[in-house]
Amino acid sequence: MISQFFVLSQRGDNIVFRDYRGEVQKGSAEIFFRKVKFWKGEEADEEAPPVFNVDGVNYIHVKVAGLLFVATTRVNVSPSFVLELLQRIARIIKDYLGVLNEDSLRKNFVLVYELLDEVIDFGYPQTTSTEVLKSYIFNEPYVVDSGRLPPLGPAAMFMQSTKRMPGTAVTKSVVANEPGGRKREEIFVDIIEKISVTFSSSGYILTSEIDGTIQMKSYLTGNPEIRLALNEDLSIGKSGTSAYDYRSSSGGGTVLLDDCNFHESVHLDSFDIDRTLSLVPPDGEFSVMNYRMTQEFKPPFRINALIEEAGAYKAEVILKVHAEFSPTVTANTISVQMPVPSYTTRVSFELEAGAVGQTTDFKEANRRLEWCLKKIVGGSEHTLRAKLTFTQEAHGNITREAGPVSMNFTIPMYNASKLQVKYLQIAKKSQSYNPYRWVRYVTQSNSYVARL
Amino acid sequence: MSGHDSKYFSTTKKGEIPELKEELNSQYKDKKKDAVKKVIAAMTVGKDVSSLFTDVVNCMQTENLELKKLVYLYLINYAKSQPDLAILAVNTFVKDSQDPNPLIRALAVRTMGCIRVDKITEYLCDPLQRCLKDDDPYVRKTAAICVAKLYDINAELVEDRGFLDTLKDLISDNNPMVVANAVAALAEIQENSTRPIFEITSHTLTKLLTALNECTEWGQVFILDALSRYKAADAREAENIVERVTPRLQHANCAVVLSAVKMILQQMELITSTDVVRNLCKKMAPPLVTLLSAEPEIQYVALRNINLIVQKRPTILAHEIKVFFCKYNDPIYVKMEKLEIMIKLASDRNIDQVLLEFKEYATEVDVDFVRKAVRAIGRCAIKLERAAERCISVLLELIKIKVNYVVQEAIIVIKDIFRRYPNTYESIIATLCESLDTLDEPEAKASMIWIIGEYAERIDNADELLESFLESFPEEPALVQLQLLTATVKLFLKKPTEGPQQMIQVVLNNATVETDNPDLRDRAYIYWRLLSTDPEAAKDVVLAEKPVISDDSNNLDPSLLDELLANIATLSSVYHKPPEAFVSRVKSATSRSDEDDYPEGGETAYSESPSHGINNAHTASHAAPKQPAPAPAPPAPAAPVPDLLGDLMGMDNALVPVDQPSTTSGPPLPVLLPASTGQGLQISGQLLRRDGQIFYGLMFENNSQTALDGFMIQFNKNTFGLASAGPLQVAQVPPGGAARTLLPMVMYQNLSQGPPGTLLQVAVKNNQQPVWYFNDKFSLHVFFSEDGRMERTSFLETWKSIPDTNEIAKDLTSAIIQSIDSTIENLAASNVFFVAKRRNANKEVLYLTCKGPKAVPFLIELTAAIGVPGVKCAVKTPSPELAPLFFEAMESLLK
Repeated sequence: MISQFFVLSQRGDNIVFRDYRGEVQKGSAEIFFRKVKFWKGEEADEEAPPVFNVDGVNYIHVKVAGLLFVATTRVNVSPSFVLELLQRIARIIKDYLGVLNEDSLRKNFVLVYELLDEVIDFGYPQTTSTEVLKSYIFNEPYVVDSGRLPPLGPAAMFMQSTKRMPGTAVTKSVVANEPGGRKREEIFVDIIEKISVTFSSSGYILTSEIDGTIQMKSYLTGNPEIRLALNEDLSIGKSGTSAYDYRSSSGGGTVLLDDCNFHESVHLDSFDIDRTLSLVPPDGEFSVMNYRMTQEFKPPFRINALIEEAGAYKAEVILKVHAEFSPTVTANTISVQMPVPSYTTRVSFELEAGAVGQTTDFKEANRRLEWCLKKIVGGSEHTLRAKLTFTQEAHGNITREAGPVSMNFTIPMYNASKLQVKYLQIAKKSQSYNPYRWVRYVTQSNSYVARL
Repeated sequence: MSGHDSKYFSTTKKGEIPELKEELNSQYKDKKKDAVKKVIAAMTVGKDVSSLFTDVVNCMQTENLELKKLVYLYLINYAKSQPDLAILAVNTFVKDSQDPNPLIRALAVRTMGCIRVDKITEYLCDPLQRCLKDDDPYVRKTAAICVAKLYDINAELVEDRGFLDTLKDLISDNNPMVVANAVAALAEIQENSTRPIFEITSHTLTKLLTALNECTEWGQVFILDALSRYKAADAREAENIVERVTPRLQHANCAVVLSAVKMILQQMELITSTDVVRNLCKKMAPPLVTLLSAEPEIQYVALRNINLIVQKRPTILAHEIKVFFCKYNDPIYVKMEKLEIMIKLASDRNIDQVLLEFKEYATEVDVDFVRKAVRAIGRCAIKLERAAERCISVLLELIKIKVNYVVQEAIIVIKDIFRRYPNTYESIIATLCESLDTLDEPEAKASMIWIIGEYAERIDNADELLESFLESFPEEPALVQLQLLTATVKLFLKKPTEGPQQMIQVVLNNATVETDNPDLRDRAYIYWRLLSTDPEAAKDVVLAEKPVISDDSNNLDPSLLDELLANIATLSSVYHKPPEAFVSRVKSATSRSDEDDYPEGGETAYSESPSHGINNAHTASHAAPKQPAPAPAPPAPAAPVPDLLGDLMGMDNALVPVDQPSTTSGPPLPVLLPASTGQGLQISGQLLRRDGQIFYGLMFENNSQTALDGFMIQFNKNTFGLASAGPLQVAQVPPGGAARTLLPMVMYQNLSQGPPGTLLQVAVKNNQQPVWYFNDKFSLHVFFSEDGRMERTSFLETWKSIPDTNEIAKDLTSAIIQSIDSTIENLAASNVFFVAKRRNANKEVLYLTCKGPKAVPFLIELTAAIGVPGVKCAVKTPSPELAPLFFEAMESLLK
């Protein structure tokens, strides 16, 4: 069971500190921070593992929104238990405060301490449901102005480009009232997919994987029951043979998940029959369902990368990115990186004619080319040429010393898995009751890599 | 609420404390509340606002829950430093615990349990009793945890008041939160008690399995972890349990999944049907893989656990190797763990794919990761014979990139590959030699030199290559020097020509005369002697065929693996260390001793002796975060240190005061058979303990006119079954001469019945005289073993675990303590180890421990006034029948 809980800023300042059992010394936060900062000595910049032991005290931490959430303990606890708990505390605080950062924590410290006392007693988690907590918490949040702050969390990506989304919704507190008095009745369902693809040097897909989650954030009063219908032909378990008791259907075009799990509020009574989930959504943000898929899918981008020696001290790089998705969809905040040989001194870039919203850079410190594109419309192709100058002759295996090319992107209203929310039904309280429903899809890169 | 909390941090001109005091006593509620908030704000940034204690406590009597909570928060923080004032709050607590509002009732019990002041604890019992049976589940679940809090402060109180039984009843509560907390509290209490308190019977098992479905995710983990201690009666019961637990694998909370995996793995041990086992393995794979989609922190924990699981049951994830391929954005700690698992899962079937990955990793930026990837290729070569050649060609490709650390790492693993497949891949040596002059790491250098020496006959210019290293011999690290020495000897034996002959001279000279490294020197001398006496024998030794190695570098010892598997989903499985290696739970009573000054004579105020405190000196000023003591603790340095040379000479000084010069004749031994009785033969002797072994130190003095020889000795049956471990080694003793010997003794050979005693009946004979019989009375302390040292915490626990009826006291009238430190030293020399001391009135109280025969612990309390004869000795031991013998021993030690 945990002994202490504390939140540190990136600089190591103590923002929140709560001791539940008094069995670990007071200076633990400082000991922790020094250890994390200099994990492999003063020089090396290696990240400390999330779990370690110093002088009989176990330190377990996660990084959330640039803050360190830490628990200490002396006993042989389940570390995943503590890690989940830390994540959950971060989420509760965010539910209450709307935004999670140093400023909002400091401005709401009384509320945060009140929350911490209800969430954990004597080191044992009591409840981590924002919904349940509401009846025990009396302080009201002071909501910091979210307009000035960079948005956080997975849903934040919606605020960048799409006009259809109300920007402030995702950063508003689930408990605080709107300035106008009444709360707006609305519910957000986000299908967020993180995709990982590794292309071989010849363009074959070596590995591909989708980590998906259906995230829900409800601002509905009275907690009505909700039904979510997914693709009817959804099947679970590899190669059509179900590892679970679910009905399996094999065949082309179906969505085949390797594995999935559900939030504890989800009832799966009719899931086997018609792939609908019913639940009474608790307040606050939570994952209705997590899923994983390794079934083949069409990757949104094809990457072509070429590096060729052009004389003794020179080489040329050609990077080509082709968007494979429909022209109605636009990807944004794309960046492409490619490490180049360590003896590269100078790079000159050549963008395609008429390119807008594209920037290039040669990061000398980590000897990497960076190519950023504001957006890419489906079906289009973009090319970058770069000339490298070396201080020494290449050893004749320049492709071994450069690459792999990696890519980051976000594609709103696109999902690679074809998993869909067919409908979102809210139990009606009255004829006029018609809350806003937002069902949003987004695909993000996780590890999107093309080898040379 | 207007404004935000940070305004409470602002300071004022007037001086903070007086202003706050004024505001706290304001008649306006809002002002009061704001003031309390300011106090809390000051408290959280570490300012001392304890002087406002009375004023804050005065705000406690309010119906406003928000304000009440703030006051309670303050109380928890400062009650310990103001125990007398804290009593003021008791009335309100007791009143609140009967408030109609369940939130207030729960809050009162929760807070009281957090105030670790003895006086408050007394008042806690009645409210707690009520709240455990409250109608409201919120109050009951809070009360359940409160029992664990109280147990931590005063375990006896909890047992006396019957709270444990009430707690056990709560397992059957209809509210899942209450059940979960009751389980958590009971599990914690059990962990800190040696008595069986929370035993999982098949009845509780059923109850808890049913509760499992209703519980919150956290409660599910409590229950699963508590159940994992349950041993199923047979395969059928195990199958039933597994069936109930399997649905948990689909929980979104990773902790639930891992705890379920632990439970299933444990029950699988009992399941005999291979079909069921295979099916379970199949079911566990997808959830385990899904853990790798969680946050990187959880991935790390999952990977460390999977590392253990695949060592035991490789089939579970045999087909999932792809999910362990590193993503470019994985944190380094995740990548490292993935590599380790990839090696474990590599097989002939997937090796090509795996090698392709390793090759990619070997060109990444992070040096540690690259090195590990190169090493991984080598380990696959050693593991998979059929893939060895492919692995080597990948390594050669990497060497050609000429990245310095890649080359060095590759050479290190290639040396291992040569060990695994001797005389198979020498063709690549030429390529390796190209990088010779770039090597600057000792391990890589040593590996290359080993290769040159091992294959000297096939490398045309082996002598030149080695010679290039020899120039810098004196500056090389020991690792390289040793390899150079051996390689040169090999070269000389294989090519005994002039060049190598000169080299060997240089090396041997360097390694014997010029060095102060004993390992190097000894090895050089051995080679030298071998070469000078019998070169053929040298060949047999130095060039002998070496045993083939296998890749077990990161595999755990099977018994450790089993222990770690039993601890899946705990920190133990992340560190890959058994729990006792890092868990050092300090009993709260002692851990707090240094924060407050305990009044003199306080029962728990132990302090440590200077000699024992060295290990913990740096933590002594904190709440004693004890490191696990480095097992078998060395005896206190001030004690008479056994003298190595003395040991060799067969002399003995274990019982001699340090200041007495030891002579070759050794200390006098008590006379057992006087010369007058023994027809001129005088036998003296005493049982002695030396390095954990018991000896009978004997001296035979021949005052007769004839030489005596053919000595033999025999012991009668005795309490501890002492007998000689071998024949008596005494040569002829001439008239007027004497012989000393140390006869090794064994125990439990010829046990006698009846009450325990320390009488030894001995018979000695020789060829010239009749058999002599005599009695020897020895002291129990010869049995006290060197590993009898005990940590304070375990001392306390052991003390508690032994019933009070086993405590026996005696006044040792002739004993005396002249000085605490020297007494501690002297006792430590006899393996009686100091634990703690305190003062009580004008007497010193020492706590000590030792381990007697059959590892029976003796927990000792000595009470005495310094320099005054008479020591009260109380001893608590599971074998009270030995107490009289023990007192005799103590009396003799304390003279």
